Order: sequence, then structure tokens, then C-alpha cells
Amino acid sequence: MGENNIILTIKSLSKYFGALKAVDGVSFEVKKGEILGLIGPNGAGKTTIANLVTGTFSKTSGSVIFEDTDISNLKSYQIARKGLTRTFQIVEPLKGMSVEENVLVGSLYGRDNRNTNMKNSSKRTREIIKLVGLESKKDFLVSDITINDIKKMEFARVIAMDPKILFLDEVMAGLTAKEVEKTSILIKRILKEKDLTIVFIEHIMKAVMGVSDRIIVLHHGKKISEGTPQEVANSSAVIEAYLGKRYAKEVVNNG
Amino acid sequence: MKLLIENNKKINILLFITLMIVFIFLPFFLSGYWIRVFTTIFMYAVIAQGMNIMYGYMGYLPFGNVMFFGIGAYIAAIGMNRGLPFLAVLPLAALTAIFLSILFGIPVLKIRGHYFAIATIGINGAIMGVVQNTTEITGGAMGTTLPIIDKPPAVTYGYFYFAMLALMIIATLLLYLVINSKLGYGIRSIKANEEAANSMGINTIYHKVTAWAISALFVSIAGALYAYWMSFIGPTEVFSTVVAVKVIVIMLIGGAGTILGPIIGSFIVSMLSEVVWSSFLEYHLGVLGIAMIAILFFAPKGIVGTMDDFIKNRGLRLRKKVSV
Repeated sequence: MGENNIILTIKSLSKYFGALKAVDGVSFEVKKGEILGLIGPNGAGKTTIANLVTGTFSKTSGSVIFEDTDISNLKSYQIARKGLTRTFQIVEPLKGMSVEENVLVGSLYGRDNRNTNMKNSSKRTREIIKLVGLESKKDFLVSDITINDIKKMEFARVIAMDPKILFLDEVMAGLTAKEVEKTSILIKRILKEKDLTIVFIEHIMKAVMGVSDRIIVLHHGKKISEGTPQEVANSSAVIEAYLGKRYAKEVVNNG
Repeated sequence: MKLLIENNKKINILLFITLMIVFIFLPFFLSGYWIRVFTTIFMYAVIAQGMNIMYGYMGYLPFGNVMFFGIGAYIAAIGMNRGLPFLAVLPLAALTAIFLSILFGIPVLKIRGHYFAIATIGINGAIMGVVQNTTEITGGAMGTTLPIIDKPPAVTYGYFYFAMLALMIIATLLLYLVINSKLGYGIRSIKANEEAANSMGINTIYHKVTAWAISALFVSIAGALYAYWMSFIGPTEVFSTVVAVKVIVIMLIGGAGTILGPIIGSFIVSMLSEVVWSSFLEYHLGVLGIAMIAILFFAPKGIVGTMDDFIKNRGLRLRKKVSV
């Protein structure tokens, strides 16, 4: 792997809330075009990292380097415009607006937002709504659709922002096994079509193992393991902290 | 559904054009008193549009927005007393108001909800205090006079009727264009979910200040016209929080976050108060209050909002029937 392949570098990033070290000196790199899984038990600091990288929280120390520039002091709208965006663990729809309008806002703003106009954005919006399969619901208000459809809408909205790197914060939470499978296929397809890099924050192990190229495991705000899904699953530190022996065995046996 | 929403838009445009044609020919059939009533209706509609972009579309209630009315009125008065023609003081009033909206907006628009509303009341009070105490420039608490147009009253009332009407039409069209543009989507996203808007690449503070500047533009020109029309203004009158309350009521009754709501609201509130005034002189305010509570209770989205919902729901029902 050459230097040019790295799109995002996180260097000893920390965030303290008073005495609580939510993220404590975490460093890792994200390679262009990969799906990186970010996992860990509750309170491990996964969402905090997403919040730090996308500018929702300000860091305590460390740096976040995106394509050779330190973005850790930028505001969240500036980071979004650079092409680094995220979905939220708890859905954040634009209330009182229709599904189509929600996606349209993503398309109008987002990356390179100076070059977007209503006409092109409307066209893009319709394409993306079709891609995620929300065509029949595009005129509904977000208050009138199910939580799964809101999640799909949020996914469409971040895709409409045309990001270079996307943090997906627990997009699978609350989905049935079949829906998880469908969403995984959708994510892989969009990754190929849109030339994206994805950081996948997840609780559902099956989804992470199946989709990720590489996995980073967090525990109590620290990175405890990094590697391919198999390597991580076999790591004794991870098994101790999180997965449990039985699940790890299953993964190894089933390939 | 798409078709029905477009129909809805067509209904709105049709309604707007019909109203405007009626208003243009109305003065030829009305007495001087009613011309003044209608001029006031147009003026309140403009101030309510200024409130509408801030609250109806962006979700920030600028309770002290009347400050721009007072600024517009006073800049017009001061300029004209120094010998400037009205058409020169008009842009001066607008630019001063826009400048102040940016100056106050950058710090104050970082506060949300009730705190923002209260902060704007504070600014309004502070500006009124300045006006009251700089007697050499503003005439102080006694108020100040403006030059009177040298024409019979019937003619000047006609001028102001058409000037206010034109202002209302321009403000409404401008608001319509803004709301349907990229800027408008940014502004509406702030009301919908400010955190999400931020994370989607929307520079929220820029959008908030821009919206307030547009609001200040509308309201200050209305203030300048009002000052010239009345030819006498006093600080407690043009910085009055009673005006602020009336404008909020107009916006809510007509429908906050709708293009035509403030116009219809202004019409209804003024007509209602005319009727109530003439038939229940002693209980005027009480009856008016009860009527407003009734409207807000049964149509919380305002008249235009409720009408829109009705048309949309009918559309959904029809569509369901077709799909079955």
C-alpha cells in the first residue's frame, strides 16, 4: 500500500468529557475505496470518533488529516463540504419536509456545494431516491414514513451529498436479518458505483464481518485490535473484551 | 400527488393574481377611510412577511423585529428633515436596517428558541432608548415630523395605497423566489433540524443572518413608507411591542410558513378588528381575543396552512381510491 492510498489519517485523537476518556489516543488510517469496520462494545467511543471526525464535537487533542489537510479544527459544515460526511445513530431527518426535499437538500449542499443548482440537484435527487428504492414514498413527509424508510432516506441523503468518505453510524440497528442482508448488498453496490470510502460503525457483528475489508476494535476509548475480519475475530484481546469465544469460533469455522 | 401539489401551487398563484387585480381597482370604489384601512392591511402584511421568513420558514421568532420598522421610519424622518428626497432615504433606510441585522444577527442568532426572542426584544428596547435620548437628531421622546406632500389628502392617500400595495407584492414575490431557491432550502432546513443541516454542509449562521437581513429589508421599507405617510412619528409608536404582537397574530392566523398566509392573516385580523370595533366598542379587545383563540384552536396551522392540508389530504384520498 503506497502513501497515496490513504485518504484519512487519525493521529492520537482524544476526547475527554470531564474525567471520562471517551476516546483516548486512538490512531488509525483509512485507505481509499475500502470498507473499514469500527466496532466495540457500548461506550467504546465509536460514535464519539464519528462526532470528532465530522466536527460535531471538538477534540481534546490529536489530529484528523483528510487528504493532506488537518480538518480537526474545522466546523461541521466545512468538513461536509470537503466530502466527509456521516449518518446518525439516532435518525436526524429534516422534519416537516418530504423525502424528496430531504434528499434534495443533501444534493444542493454537501460536497462542492458552490457548483450545484436546483435543476441538476433535482435530477440527481430522483436518481438516488430510485437507487435506494424510495420512489413510491418520495412525496411523503418524513413524519409519515417508518423508521426503516427514514434510515433509507438518510442514506440517500448522504449519497446525494456526493462524499468521498462516509461514516455510517449503526445503519443496521433495528433491522431484521433479511433487511441487514439487503442493506449490505446496497452499500456494496453504491460503494462500487460512487467511488466511495466507507467507515462502518456497527453493533451487528454479522453485518460487519460480511461487509468490511478491515476492522478496528475499540474498547474503553482505546484501539485494542486491527486487521481483517478473521484476524480480529481470532484476537484474544477482542474475544476477551467483546465477542466471546463461541462467536469467534463460529466465524473461523464458517470462513 | 405531484400533480395535485402542482395544482395547489396553481391555486395559490391564481388566488394571488385575483387578489392583486381586486386591490388595484379597489381605490376607485372606496372612501378615504377604507383606503387608509387597506393601506394599513398591506403594511401589516409586509411586516408579517418579515416575521414569516424568520419564524414560518426558519423557526426563529424575532419578537423585537419591529426594531427595523422603527429604524426605517426614523432614517426616513432624519434624512428628509435634512432635505433628502424620499426616493433617496428609502435605500438609506433599507441599508441601515440590513447593516444592523447583520451586526446584531451574527452574535444573537447563535442563541435559540425563547432566548433569541427575548434578546431581540432587548435590542428593540435599546434602540428605542437611543432614539429617545438623542433629541438633537431624532426629536427625542416627543417624536418628529416629516415634510408633507403638497397635494390634496385624497391624492396622497392614493399614493401610499399603491406604494404599500407594490411593496407587499414585491416582498411576497421575493419571499416566494427565496423560499424556492437553494438559499430557501437551506433556511427551511434550519427550522427542520439545525444539527442535521450543519452536518449536511449548510453554513447555518450565514443562512440565518441572510434571512434576517431579508426580513429587515421588508420591515424597514414599510417603516419608511409609514413615516412619510403619517408625517409624524414617535419612538413608542414605531418601536411598539404591540405591533410585534399583532404581527405574530397575523402570521399565525394566516399560516406561518405559507407564502400567502401573512396577506390573508393581515386582511382577516384588520377586518375583524374593524367589525368588532364598530359593533362592540367597549368589549373590542375581548371579542377580538376570543375570535383569535378560536381560529388558532380550530386551525392551528393558520387559514392557508389548513387549506393546503385539506387539498393535499383530498389528493391522497383520491389516489388511494384509484390504486384500489
